Amino acid sequence: MFTHYIDLAWRSLKRTPMVSILMVCAIAIGIGITMTSLSVYHMMSMDPIPSKSDQLFAVQLNTTDEGTDWWTEDNIALQLTYKDAMFLHNQESAFRKTASMKGMATVHMNNDELKPYLAATRVVGHQFFNMFELEFIYGGPWTIEQEQLAAPVIVIDEETSEKHFGRPNSVGEQIYLDDRSYQIVGVTKNWDIHTKYYDLNNGAFSGVESIFLPITLIEAQQLDNSGNTNGWKFEEIDSFESYLQSELVWLQFWVELPDQRTKKDYESFLFAYLEEQGKLDRFERKTPEYKLRDVNEWMEYNRVVSEDNKVLVGLSFLFLAVCLANILGLLLGKFLKRAPEVGVRRALGANKRQIFLQHIIEVSMLGLLGGALGIVVAQIGLWGVRTTNQEYNALASMDLSMLLAAPGIAILACILAGLYPAWLVCRTQPAIYLKTQ
Amino acid sequence: MLSMKNISKVYQTEKVQTHALRDFNLEVEEGEFIAVTGPSGSGKTTFLNIAGMLEPFTSGEFSLDGVDIGKLNDNQTADLRNQKIGFIFQGFNLIPDLNLYENIEVPLRYAGIKRSERKLRIEECLEKVGLASRAKHLPQQLSGGQQQRVAIARALAGKPRFLLADEPTGNLDSLMARQVMELLEKINEDGSTIIMVTHDPELARRAPRNIQVVDGQLADFTMYQNKTIEAIAASAPVVEA
Amino acid sequence: MSEIIPIFRALLRSKAGALMLLIQIAITTAIVSNAAFIINDRIQYLNTETGYPEKEIFSFSISSFGEISDLSVMLEQTEETIRNIPGVINASLVNAVPVSGSGSASTFGSQPSSERGEEIRAAYFTGDEHILNTLGLSVFDGRNFEKNEVVVGTDRNAVAQVAIVSKAFIDQKFPEGNGLGQTIYFGNDPLKIVGVVEEMVGPWLKDNQAQNVVIMPIARADKQQKFIVRAEADQRAAVMRQIDDILLAEHNKRVIMFKRGMDEAKDNYNASDILMLRMLVVLIVVLVLVTALGIFGMTLFNINKRTKQIGTRRALGARKSAIVKYFLTENSIICISGMLIGSVAAVFLGNSLMTRFSIPALDINYILTTAVFVLVISLVSVIFPAIRAANIAPSIATRSI
Repeated sequence: MFTHYIDLAWRSLKRTPMVSILMVCAIAIGIGITMTSLSVYHMMSMDPIPSKSDQLFAVQLNTTDEGTDWWTEDNIALQLTYKDAMFLHNQESAFRKTASMKGMATVHMNNDELKPYLAATRVVGHQFFNMFELEFIYGGPWTIEQEQLAAPVIVIDEETSEKHFGRPNSVGEQIYLDDRSYQIVGVTKNWDIHTKYYDLNNGAFSGVESIFLPITLIEAQQLDNSGNTNGWKFEEIDSFESYLQSELVWLQFWVELPDQRTKKDYESFLFAYLEEQGKLDRFERKTPEYKLRDVNEWMEYNRVVSEDNKVLVGLSFLFLAVCLANILGLLLGKFLKRAPEVGVRRALGANKRQIFLQHIIEVSMLGLLGGALGIVVAQIGLWGVRTTNQEYNALASMDLSMLLAAPGIAILACILAGLYPAWLVCRTQPAIYLKTQ
Repeated sequence: MLSMKNISKVYQTEKVQTHALRDFNLEVEEGEFIAVTGPSGSGKTTFLNIAGMLEPFTSGEFSLDGVDIGKLNDNQTADLRNQKIGFIFQGFNLIPDLNLYENIEVPLRYAGIKRSERKLRIEECLEKVGLASRAKHLPQQLSGGQQQRVAIARALAGKPRFLLADEPTGNLDSLMARQVMELLEKINEDGSTIIMVTHDPELARRAPRNIQVVDGQLADFTMYQNKTIEAIAASAPVVEA
Repeated sequence: MSEIIPIFRALLRSKAGALMLLIQIAITTAIVSNAAFIINDRIQYLNTETGYPEKEIFSFSISSFGEISDLSVMLEQTEETIRNIPGVINASLVNAVPVSGSGSASTFGSQPSSERGEEIRAAYFTGDEHILNTLGLSVFDGRNFEKNEVVVGTDRNAVAQVAIVSKAFIDQKFPEGNGLGQTIYFGNDPLKIVGVVEEMVGPWLKDNQAQNVVIMPIARADKQQKFIVRAEADQRAAVMRQIDDILLAEHNKRVIMFKRGMDEAKDNYNASDILMLRMLVVLIVVLVLVTALGIFGMTLFNINKRTKQIGTRRALGARKSAIVKYFLTENSIICISGMLIGSVAAVFLGNSLMTRFSIPALDINYILTTAVFVLVISLVSVIFPAIRAANIAPSIATRSI
């Protein structure tokens, strides 16, 4: 019976081609516009590490004087000072954790074969890779001993390895950053994440780094921060040492707490640490203030999804509603015109459910066609987004879930619009339409 | 097999009540061929609609093959209609988008009959009405008489025990009307019970039993002698639509 | 009470189409007025005057590596090389590029920071005596830097003695208008204000104090050094094309990166606003189109349904204009009710956007303009079908369908 209804629906659409085209176009445009903004929203808000987004926490410590203004909603700095970050980093623990900094370096091979280029680097602890599920294809992270000794070791991704050595496996080779040579200990796969959730300071979608260095090199080689540095009070900084000891905040800190108990313990540890630091006259603050935010909370807090995008998603759903009202009006006309035929079917033994189903399947088919065409419209829309804003290059695309959602939403919307007309037509008294045609 | 006792049908609008049928009583036996006549607006069509379960009735008892129709819900009446009743309309009421084959297939699909069985039955019915060669044609490619024969084929396809015909020849010229009537008589001979509403006294005369509806009530004449029918026809108020 | 439901049902049965049209017009009015308002807000922002000749300026970074005896001398030499490229007006090494979205800001006080006086935040640029000319700026009050005031070197803690500031900054800092010649403090270091520039902006256009800028005469060379170059507008592209080769020929242990025109940098910084603007424009245009088509389709449908009735009216002596008027009136009733509901919805939508997002309160004029606009659109879309209806032959009344 189902295939028969599909056949009937198709014939019905063909019978009034203009109206059908109008309706399919209305849905396609509505869905296209909605999917354009929804796809960007989906990519922006997508959980970047679903397996443990609730176990990874960004640490914030309030090490400012009471009354210091910050631009965050709870007045706490997004980053940590070097001394706090390194203290937390060096603490003995069963769980993983890492401090993190964005660096910048001229990468070259100390010969004329490869043109030197400037690249962002990520300066982290050896547990970073495991924490953020960045897999190795050759070698592995540097060892804890290498990290403690600030050994000149480096992890690069597959693409960088190909670029420098023409092959994916370059473990053991040397590579130059600025004027120093580093030994490659591991090659990771190319990191395919849209949102740079581990460091949202310089654009959430600005692309991940492909070169990784041990965090201890900051001090050993006086590495500069190329991310954000913020201060809240005046300090005399006349040397790298005084820079490291200053109250400037410029490092991210992440911790992986696998369960509630570990989290509780860590919270009391942070509390105690801040209480002790407060006594050292670093800052004037009555009660220690810290925050642990998991990945999704962190993205929300950092407003990863732009307000504009939320407004657009809302407006496009309203737009879809307009398209539906339009379709509903057209369907009413189309279905009611068909009442005599329905009368005949009723006389021949169709029950209301069958008539209703027949019409719902017809509107579903409209939805399917509109949804399919809507994907095309959305692709055009997303292309427009990509050409307008380079940063959205990876974001303005439809993944499988969005490709499936498009016809899904279209069909659902059409069924919603078709319910009333279908109900109206299935409850008409057949007798009225049978006498004359 | 069809029994109506004190059936009433009242149409209620906001201000007016119209009694389309009142205390309508009728017993129909298996295999009968009944012609229903009566002036315009007398309630003939209402009677036929109630008999075909296309409309609910207001009060009274109506049973078909021993089933109390008053107690059935919409789905049950739809099924019963599908199983037991075939309709033939004045306007043919073929579905314009479907070809002849598919038109006849409609009730069979609702009956849930398998494709192969449907094919057999449709071909058989088309054969019976003499249109087997035109199965793939659309209704508008046919003459009125041919269309009505398709409608009859469609009514027969479900092997109904009742055939309800509402002015089946109303839109046809006399030659075609006669052909349709002959077809109905043949169907009746094959065992189906037929109730036919008509304006045409000549056609009515050909039916073994005539009933007349006047002001929503029944005047039943079971006549086997033409003389009596003529007398009644003369006495009844003749109203042409 | 029990009668309301059947009446409502009857209304729905016969007027559901009209109701849908009304809903469409209401939502359209609500969306279009709000979107138009946001669009205008963004256009105003995007047209903000920066004070720079954006089409003449470009910037880039030089990252130096390898053995360098004196970075400062080398980059000063590079600066000279750039100035000698044909078409180049001027060049300056800087700490940050205006309107690029990346730079430095600090508070500037009336007293040394250690005394915790009143402070005003401003973005700051550093450069030599060429920086104003390179940015296409001129001193509106006071004077430019002198060569001997420029601190040259690689010392991160180099301190200047003087500063040139924007008018916005000096007006805020010294409301009495006596700012020129006064001293402000950058941390604990005093800076004498020697010049004022009427109009310039810092790196962040979205900053609510974007116009607060302080320029200090420091030419500090860095391993990753930013440069600003101003060229004749029609030669900028040519200069940008050849500059890599010229600079690499001069010294090969360097990487030249982030080369882009100031207009491009600005568009890049504002990319999300431009995107929002375009999306909203597309949304409005398509929305109005869909609604207009809806009205058009609905009228056509109504006319088809009433062909016979219209024919009868014509047969009874109705003029063509009467038929057109009939449909216009009918449509106007629906449109005006839709617009009224839509206007109320627009206010609510505007309010909820304002409370939930950083969007200013909706101006009522936008609703009024949109309402008039929607009415005009709806009348235009009804007039053609109505004229078609008026042309229905009276004879149709006598024909049965």
